[in-house]
Amino acid sequence: MPRLIERRIRWSGRLIAAGLVVQMLTLLATHPLAFICFALVGCPLVGAGIAIFLYSLVEHEAV
Amino acid sequence: MGGTTIILIFFTAMVAVLGLLTSMRPEFTAARGGKIMAFVALCILPVLSVWAGFHEQVERSTSTQFCLSCHVMDKFGKSLTVDDKSFVPAAHFQNNFVPRDHACFTCHTDYTMFGDYKAKWRGVHHVLVQYLGTIPKPEDIKLYTPYNNRECLHCHAGARSYEEASSHHKQPDMLAKAASNELSCTSSGCHDIIHNVGDLGDATFWTPTPEPK
Repeated sequence: MPRLIERRIRWSGRLIAAGLVVQMLTLLATHPLAFICFALVGCPLVGAGIAIFLYSLVEHEAV
Repeated sequence: MGGTTIILIFFTAMVAVLGLLTSMRPEFTAARGGKIMAFVALCILPVLSVWAGFHEQVERSTSTQFCLSCHVMDKFGKSLTVDDKSFVPAAHFQNNFVPRDHACFTCHTDYTMFGDYKAKWRGVHHVLVQYLGTIPKPEDIKLYTPYNNRECLHCHAGARSYEEASSHHKQPDMLAKAASNELSCTSSGCHDIIHNVGDLGDATFWTPTPEPK
């Protein structure tokens, strides 16, 4: 059974990859909707992924 | 699609694949090398990628193509090519007084996301209205605040043609009043034919010569 930190890293990687795929798609069009998707979908997904990864590190060190 | 965009898409794809690979083998992060690799793949590279993407998106949002991509802006775009030099935006656009690919942003520097937080919210609101609301007629679209002379003066201030024009000395302190926004360039009866999208019905239009390849 994977450890908690591994599960978190797994989720972190998935979220970051999903956010970056959104970012890639928004780069294909020059349109306000693309900007909104980048800012309101892509960035939060990547941000959440990074936050989970950093939190997993901090919590793992603390244990 | 420009070279920068292709490089950015490629870079973003690589970072996404790296993030996915790390998420598939999280047990590698138990070793020191794995920890460093995970930190690069799940923190440093994504931050770099988002930063580069944000920079590209902001740059794009200053383009004429971006502003005119909503249907409601069609007539405003059309007003740039009207064959009448009394239309201030048309005279600027056709004579390269503003860069054609950044024409809107050059004269509306405080619009939507480039202004304060209220302007940013208006930008989001415009997109929501475009897809979920009732789109106003182009003739009914007005600026939220009176046009600021700053937008004219960031190019014209100090120019000889501006400062020595006899029409700019009809009243004493005209230039000073314009500089302080006391006298509007566009609504004091001087340069008052702007986009006037309601008057384009009978207008003739200029076709730009395609750039040589």
